[in-house]
Amino acid sequence: MNPEKNFYNLIITGVGGQGNVLSSQLIGQAFVHKGYFTTIGETYGASQRGGSVMSHIRISSKKQQSPLIPKGKADIIVALEPVEALRVLTHYGNPETVVIVNTRPIYPVDVISGKEAYPEFAEIEKSLETLSRKVYYVSATDQAMEMGSPILGNMIMIGALLQVNLLPLSMEEFRQTLSKNFNGKRLETNLQALEQGKKMEFHI
Amino acid sequence: MSIIALDAPGKELLLMGNEAIARGALEAGVKVCTAYPGTPSTDIIENLASVAKPMGLYVEWSINEKVALEVASAASFSGLRALCAMKQNGLNVASDYLLSLNLIGIEAGLLLVTCDDPSAHSSSTEQDSRPFAKLADLPLLEPSTSQEAKEMTKWAFALSEEMGIVCLMRGVTRTSHARGNVTLGPLPSPDGRKAWFDKTRQRNTHPVYQKHDQLHRNLIRLEEIFAASPFNQYIGPERPKALIITCGSGWLYSQEALELLGLEDAVGVLKIGTTWPLPTTMIIEKLEKTPKVLFVEEVDSFLEGNVKELAADFSGQIGPKTFFGKRSQHIPFFGEMNADRVIDALGKIFQVRYQARSPRYEAQAAEVAEKMLPSRALGFCPGCPHRASYWSIKNALQLDNRQGFATYDIGCYALGRGPAGYYLLKTGGAMGTGTGLASGFGKLASFGFDQPVVAMCGDSTFFHAAMPPLVNACYNKSNLVMVILDNSTTAMTGFQPHPGVGRNAMGEEVAPVDIEAVCRSFGAKVSVTDPFDLEGTKQKMLQALEDPVGAKVVIMRRQCQMLKGKEEKLPYQVRVNPEICIGDDCGCDRLCTRVFKCPGLMWDKKLAQARIDEVICVGCGVCADICPEKAIIKEEIR
Amino acid sequence: MEIKSQHKGQKGLREKVLDAGLCTNCGACTNLCPYHTSYQDNPILIDTCDREEGRCYAFCPRTYTDLQALRQNLFNIDEFTPELGPFKGLYMTRAADPQVRRSAQHGGTVTTLLALALQEGLIDAAVVAEEGGTFLPAGVVAKTPSDLVRRARSKFVVSPNVATFNQAAKSGLEKIGVVATPCQALALAKMRLKPLPSKDSNIDKLHLVIGLFCGWALSWRELKSLLQGKMGKNSIVGLDIPPSKHHSMEVHTQNGIIEISLDEVLPSVRKACQYCYDLTAEFSDVSVGSARLPEGWEVARGWNQVIVRTQMGQELIALARSRGLLEFRDLPEGNWEKLQKASVNKKRAAIQNLVQRSGSSKDLLYLDGQDPVLRTLMG
Repeated sequence: MNPEKNFYNLIITGVGGQGNVLSSQLIGQAFVHKGYFTTIGETYGASQRGGSVMSHIRISSKKQQSPLIPKGKADIIVALEPVEALRVLTHYGNPETVVIVNTRPIYPVDVISGKEAYPEFAEIEKSLETLSRKVYYVSATDQAMEMGSPILGNMIMIGALLQVNLLPLSMEEFRQTLSKNFNGKRLETNLQALEQGKKMEFHI
Repeated sequence: MSIIALDAPGKELLLMGNEAIARGALEAGVKVCTAYPGTPSTDIIENLASVAKPMGLYVEWSINEKVALEVASAASFSGLRALCAMKQNGLNVASDYLLSLNLIGIEAGLLLVTCDDPSAHSSSTEQDSRPFAKLADLPLLEPSTSQEAKEMTKWAFALSEEMGIVCLMRGVTRTSHARGNVTLGPLPSPDGRKAWFDKTRQRNTHPVYQKHDQLHRNLIRLEEIFAASPFNQYIGPERPKALIITCGSGWLYSQEALELLGLEDAVGVLKIGTTWPLPTTMIIEKLEKTPKVLFVEEVDSFLEGNVKELAADFSGQIGPKTFFGKRSQHIPFFGEMNADRVIDALGKIFQVRYQARSPRYEAQAAEVAEKMLPSRALGFCPGCPHRASYWSIKNALQLDNRQGFATYDIGCYALGRGPAGYYLLKTGGAMGTGTGLASGFGKLASFGFDQPVVAMCGDSTFFHAAMPPLVNACYNKSNLVMVILDNSTTAMTGFQPHPGVGRNAMGEEVAPVDIEAVCRSFGAKVSVTDPFDLEGTKQKMLQALEDPVGAKVVIMRRQCQMLKGKEEKLPYQVRVNPEICIGDDCGCDRLCTRVFKCPGLMWDKKLAQARIDEVICVGCGVCADICPEKAIIKEEIR
Repeated sequence: MEIKSQHKGQKGLREKVLDAGLCTNCGACTNLCPYHTSYQDNPILIDTCDREEGRCYAFCPRTYTDLQALRQNLFNIDEFTPELGPFKGLYMTRAADPQVRRSAQHGGTVTTLLALALQEGLIDAAVVAEEGGTFLPAGVVAKTPSDLVRRARSKFVVSPNVATFNQAAKSGLEKIGVVATPCQALALAKMRLKPLPSKDSNIDKLHLVIGLFCGWALSWRELKSLLQGKMGKNSIVGLDIPPSKHHSMEVHTQNGIIEISLDEVLPSVRKACQYCYDLTAEFSDVSVGSARLPEGWEVARGWNQVIVRTQMGQELIALARSRGLLEFRDLPEGNWEKLQKASVNKKRAAIQNLVQRSGSSKDLLYLDGQDPVLRTLMG
């Protein structure tokens, strides 16, 4: 991405309960701390009960942006769930969009019941790659489970986001934000998860 | 403690609109804050509650919005600044008193914040609260950003005091739940002011017509004040080819749309932060300089209608205009606003073609959207007691075999209208409506009505609005079954306490109100059951359904799993024994995944058997009890 | 072009049996899966099932039935009579034990035969009907002769005994006898043909079917309200229906017998019974019913008429006789003919009702118009 760029549209998407809101809030805080104008529009309330959720994070060195990204204007999509990555891409993606996707599906109730089908992962991969510039795959949930709790998946994904280095935000800066929000055991596990994501070896 | 009480003037924080409103109230020296929870308004009071003790506030979760406004009014009458927050439906409840309070007037600044939910992300309606300001002849403010929400809040208290009337502020989902940069102002030092009600003055609506007259005089004064307000702002050329008049979230969407279309130099944007009464002189001045006007606002055509009214009054001065907006169908009458909707409208007005993406990309994206994206119906969380409750109620209604159905109101359990609750809920609406409707259905036997009716009600809703209809049913000898899904919290809005919980917004221990005893005192026949006891719950339902006389209340009591999860370890390790599971064969046909549908289950296509999704499952073990083959095994952990 | 799929699962059952008013609540579809059950005398579909083929449909006595195939496969076709079905002999019997007779509805033959089968190890459990004080019978599994005696009275509402058989066969019992109404005997016979081979192993546990003569059964809700209206506070100890010339239902109360005219009772008959063409439970090993005697009803009510249909039935009766457990008396002249006539009348009425229901003389719904017996009767 252009290093001169001073305006970023990031979407964090997933399913209610995956820690979407917290992730976006932490990233937003880090950027406000760095002196950027940051706007976040996010999904709350009823839609969290198993529904698709997304946070629009808009980072600008110039001015406050509107809380919703216009169609086709996402620069980066961090998806905590594969089909949600696709869902967001179909509306907000463009040929330059970069996608970082957690590979573990969460099945919607109509898929569980057999009323609808969940696409095969190969199909998802193919479509993600057609609709973006680059896709990074992260087995965040599986790694989080190994670390003791699937909820850590969101922090692993943020680590991966920092690793691909598309935003003007360093690991150290984000670490500071984390330590302002958490303490004790919770800070420790979240930092570990962040490091875990940062260790991802991507071909960039 | 919430960051909203940070004493660091000049510091810049990332705050949600609702946090900014709470901060603004603190900067204005608010003392009493009240609300009934309702998305997207809840966080205002939640944040204030978390700083109540150190900031010397009184904060309460009132049992409903009307009571919340009454409690806040008492503070204002006693010389304390007060804030009352609610969602759009809540204003309907509070409006009964609001339409008296406007005439009664206030003493210390009183701000009523209502948060609308365009697109109804978390609501049963997509109602626009603003006409209430016009109806009540009260001033209305609409912030566009978090920063402005804070500033407006602060100013609103002063305005309310200056005018001696309650001030209204309207947020929407994308201002209340948007986060943005906010520069903190100073917090006032404690004034130690004694609350005191001046009993030499009566505070009532009389003489009504004189006070009504005074309200209208106030509007004239307000127009003058608003004309000078920095919350009304214009950017654009001196004589634009068209003028966008907007408010709230529309301000940023409009600017972004103009940037994307490259129309910044041709089209001006007039943002109105004081939407009732309108700043007439300022609007007329802008209207004079442009031939075309586009209204960008969320939900109803409130600005549009009122500005057109002005334009009619000043038609000689401003000349003919072409108006675009909802009436002309350039802007949809439903759903929330965004930059794309403004782009669409401007594109039509100026005949500009805008392509967000190439046609090829568009076609590929459309194909994926159409073929590869399973929908995500909202449902109950894994381990939710409501799923178990609905399962037993469904089975009881089926066995009863008289075409019974359920009515409902508002809460997590309202999701029972969809697959999560087996489509049991057939009619509902406002808070407490389920019980009111059931009370009505239960009186139709003499007209041949023979279907059993089950009113579904939450514990928090019980206190909010379901007690009166239950009294009505008992008093009028209506035959109904009311199910109170008592999960010991106001779950839908984020686990606020209520009178049945034993704790208030300030975190104080209080004697819990015993729902069971309340219902008995009304004369209802009450039974209590644990929804995870599927057979016992079904039997209690069957008994209630078969009893032809009077109001029967079945309390299904089990704490919300989301709360439990935070406090307790999971009870069970759940797994499917593949030796026993018969999958979709005759004898099961996937009961657990196809019919029960807990998100913690999944269907393994290759094995043609059910499996537990260990990422999702919280170990409640209910699926083990529904499996006809006993193939789902629950083993106690520890 | 619309091709009407032949649903042979729950959907088909719903359309062709439940919604068509043919269900007798026999219980054949129940306890095989979570979706079908019976509650308070009603067949209940708890949830929908998507399967296109299922045991619920295959076992139902009111889905299409190839009667001739059943007769050929399960009985000696040479001993078949069009009027009374498979037939080895008609007898008049009663329990030798007076205690059994006292607690039985009529002669106590069913109780005696089941007790003998249990004692001899021919069966290890018997599915019989039990009713509380509510006239709503339920199937129970009896494992000892004393279990039987307590349940030895006729029920005028169908007890879904096949459901109890399905349950018992799953629970580890290996040799089960079932007391069955004609519709239930037909369901059990259909099961024995194993229409869905992979799933039907439990039917091998069925070792004995004792059929009951049955003219019709009553709807529980209607019977309940009829009796509530008639009896007031009199507590009811039993019901009986004497031969048709009495044209009444006897309600036995602690204060004596009260008679209700059949004209008042008949509207409470389960509607599905009018489509039944079987009076004598033709698909059983032994069928038992009430007797007629020249001495009149007061004597006749102490006896049964028994049709023996299979080898198994014949051996059981012979054993009961040789052990002196059953007493026999000569069949009065004309009884056989009367029974035949009653049976044929029921078949004719059923055919007539089915034709009326379907609107075509070619469409007998669950029965096959080409069936040789039916053709004879339809003439």
